[in-house]
Amino acid sequence: MDQLELLKKDWKKQESKLPKLSKEEIAQLIHKKSSSIVKWIFIISVLEFVVPYFILLFTGYDNLSMKNYEKIGLSDFMTVFYAVTTIIILYFIYRFYKNYKSISANSNSKVLMQNIIKTRRTVRHYIWFNLIALFVVSLVVIYKMFHTQSFIDSLPENTSMVLIWAVSIFVLLFIMLLLWLFYKLIYGVLLNKLRNNYKELVHNGMN
Amino acid sequence: MTKELEHKFVVDLEQNQNIVHKVCRIYTNNQDAHNDLFQEITIQLWKAYPKFRGEAKFSTWMYRVALNTAITLYRKSKRTIKTQDFDSVLYKIESSEYDNTEEEQLKVLYKTIHHLSDIEKALIFLYLEDKNYKEISETMGITEVNARVKMNRVKNKLKNILNP
Repeated sequence: MDQLELLKKDWKKQESKLPKLSKEEIAQLIHKKSSSIVKWIFIISVLEFVVPYFILLFTGYDNLSMKNYEKIGLSDFMTVFYAVTTIIILYFIYRFYKNYKSISANSNSKVLMQNIIKTRRTVRHYIWFNLIALFVVSLVVIYKMFHTQSFIDSLPENTSMVLIWAVSIFVLLFIMLLLWLFYKLIYGVLLNKLRNNYKELVHNGMN
Repeated sequence: MTKELEHKFVVDLEQNQNIVHKVCRIYTNNQDAHNDLFQEITIQLWKAYPKFRGEAKFSTWMYRVALNTAITLYRKSKRTIKTQDFDSVLYKIESSEYDNTEEEQLKVLYKTIHHLSDIEKALIFLYLEDKNYKEISETMGITEVNARVKMNRVKNKLKNILNP
């Protein structure tokens, strides 16, 4: 007999040996806590939305910092910046919510994986947006700061502005790199297995 | 969700629980892991149940949700206590003991299945459950051609292990 047919026959025979749960046991199970990856994706994504926003808000948007921005002539710019970022962040949250809602175990395997990946992609774009916004606004603030009289006066003589700029940009990029690596780590832990499964599933196997 | 719906679900699942147990058999290799996955599949089935409108057979729908849970949604819990693997209990076999009887062949086959990828496990499972390519393609969301190609590949993989 073909070995796979043999396996199939045995598989059917094994059916009588499977465990059997009572209705009461099943009823208890349905109220247990889920350990689904979707739950973790939701929790971590919400944290990823909230944390950068609060960092942005509490480090830059208070009376003291607004006064500082005023000193370097940036208060209007910063107000517009915060307004625009808030609108964009709200849009990201809306997109995230829509994608998250579309995740359903009723879909076929491919669609389910796609919807999870899409949901995470929204969060990834959000993180990119934050990093770029942080970079741009820091550059503007540094530029303005470097051109205030008090800053220029505080510099020792013969200080090279090029060097100061180089160091500032290096520090900024370094902070962004750290954030990005940290993010890669979370993303990898959550989605590596899923992405590999997805690749294997959609690969048409022709080669 | 109403008590009535819950009762109907429990009755349906109790009658069809074999499907879930069989998915657990393919995807886990010890009793604790089996119970863990069974619990998660039950929770996912219950969560998806209100959206199950009876457009498919209850069992067909169960295959889909159960496999989705095993392949994609389930995260192995850390608290699982290490117990002896099914592999080592049921299929205790050394290559030197290999004598090519049907029983030995089965042991090797089951052991090999446990080492397949998640997707390959799903394909072999659907094959063992006598699902046709149309059903397989609908469950997995791939074309029938792709399902056929993938299935042949897994079958060959298993055969090659027995006939190197």
